[in-house]
Amino acid sequence: MPNAQTRSGPAAAAPVRTPTAERRRRAGSALERRSARLGWLFASPALLVVAAVMVFPVVFSVVMSFSDVQVTGSGIHLGSATTGNYALVFQSGRWQHALFFTVLYTVATVTVEMVLGTAIALVLERMKTGRGWMMALLLMPWAMITVISAELWSYVYNGVYGVLNSVLHPLFGHDTNVLGTPVQASVAMAVADIWKTTPFVAIIVLAGLVMLPGDIVEAARIDGAGGWTIFWKVRMPLLRPTLAIAVMFRILQAFGLFDLPYVLTNGGPGTSTESLAVLGYRVLFQDLKFGPGAAVATSTAALVLIGCLLFLKVFRAQVGQEEN
Amino acid sequence: MTTTQLPSTPARAPLPWRLRPAARWINLTNLGALLVALFVALPLYWLVATSFKGGNEIATAHLVPHQPTLSNYSDAFSSYGFATYIENSAIVAVATTAIVLSLGTLAGYALGRLAVRGRTGIMVALLMISLFPTVALVAPLYMLMRDIGWLNSYQGLILAYTALTLPFAIWILRNYFLAIPKEMEEVAWMDGASPLRTVWSVILPQARPGLFTAGVFTFVAAWTEFLVALSLDSADRYRTIPVGIALFGGQYTTPYGTIFAASAVAMLPIALLVLIFRKAVVSGLTAGAVKG
Repeated sequence: MPNAQTRSGPAAAAPVRTPTAERRRRAGSALERRSARLGWLFASPALLVVAAVMVFPVVFSVVMSFSDVQVTGSGIHLGSATTGNYALVFQSGRWQHALFFTVLYTVATVTVEMVLGTAIALVLERMKTGRGWMMALLLMPWAMITVISAELWSYVYNGVYGVLNSVLHPLFGHDTNVLGTPVQASVAMAVADIWKTTPFVAIIVLAGLVMLPGDIVEAARIDGAGGWTIFWKVRMPLLRPTLAIAVMFRILQAFGLFDLPYVLTNGGPGTSTESLAVLGYRVLFQDLKFGPGAAVATSTAALVLIGCLLFLKVFRAQVGQEEN
Repeated sequence: MTTTQLPSTPARAPLPWRLRPAARWINLTNLGALLVALFVALPLYWLVATSFKGGNEIATAHLVPHQPTLSNYSDAFSSYGFATYIENSAIVAVATTAIVLSLGTLAGYALGRLAVRGRTGIMVALLMISLFPTVALVAPLYMLMRDIGWLNSYQGLILAYTALTLPFAIWILRNYFLAIPKEMEEVAWMDGASPLRTVWSVILPQARPGLFTAGVFTFVAAWTEFLVALSLDSADRYRTIPVGIALFGGQYTTPYGTIFAASAVAMLPIALLVLIFRKAVVSGLTAGAVKG
């Protein structure tokens, strides 16, 4: 470090074109060219892998969704261009239900998780001791394999010997299988999801809370604002960018919902808890209908990206309005 | 931050000294914290407790196993071949993490510190790609792997996971590289150190927290991923833990005891990793939130 100081010091102090400075400048541009060459050399392996395994499949998926795909013994032929896959998918009642379910599920779980996560973050912020342990505990559901949490909740919800049933049985006098009816199964799945992902929201919101400038809250308090007013009028508005980020992350994850319904309910009863991702997977890998399957997958991706953009737009418009 | 509590404390009537610590502990914050801890920990406890319940006790709601047994654990390894799944998961997750950290370090360094044109555009593109739902990728990935004969193989899954996790790793590492003073690497360059040597001995030591964050996230992602593993590596020999556990049961019976024993074993490395690198994980989770 001291070396760096003495070497760059004189040149910075005297911008005169001495021979030394000239040599330094030339060396700088040569260094820049070398730097650019090196940059591409260093970045290309990673970029090539991402391009080959992510960009190419995305493009191929889109192409496939617009093709009359034929599956033969020797492989897959794309066939002629068509919008038939989308027409078929959009008109099917099963897709419409999956869309309805996924959107409703996303809105409901993300709302509950944001409220609950913010409440947990507020508690954590006020904790004087043991916050580190609490954070460690909160990270456990986040790092848990979703398949395992799905198995765990399916055991809890089991209609004969599940712990939920053993609580409900004395109340109702009969066995209750919550996974047996569509509405209850959806709620049960949402609870499992909320348990696993609320800690993630709490950690993000806590980071935002800690970053808030303390003097503004202090000023409001001196002006006589109560705790409730300070929370809603001072801290929440300042916290909004953080909340927006958390909502975005959660929408992206919730909309791609796959592991939980696949293991917990298998999309059932019937197809009542079938998400768009589960439907896409089944059409692709069980029905082997690659054209319609690609249409389901591609439209899911498009919908979630549009949803996020809309959310950002509404969020920005709202913030802008309040600033004016 | 918690000044609201301070003025009220002296106003209270003095408590007998024995009660005082306990009474001071009882307030809304700690009650809330207790509720949160129970909410998170109870299901986890239930999983571990059930894994020690034997054949008949599985069907009971005993809070503590009356006759704790290790039979589920031996079943998971002897009758269900869980050791293979652990081995597969470990190979895939460790290899993915090693490759992602190497490629991600080079790319993050290049995109953060070197004069690569259009690097902002590349970073934005990487972010967009990482937001893509996985279900839109599995069908073409499946065809790609089938064409090159990498279905049901380690390398196929490793390649897929590397691509899936690289964008986030590059973002995290680049953020750390950006914060390192420029003089340090200039000195190394002037002293004639090769670029790789510069990255290895000057940049990497400075960015160690970033390496931990990117490493833990990559490992956790590879250890927990289900959809791609199910699509590419469903043959018993190459199943990872999530696929193995999901396909454990038969059509009509679910061997919960065995599943939970296997789950407890599968969660152990992740739990340790998260505990050891707690700060790195939190900084990774909140990277987006804090940067705005």
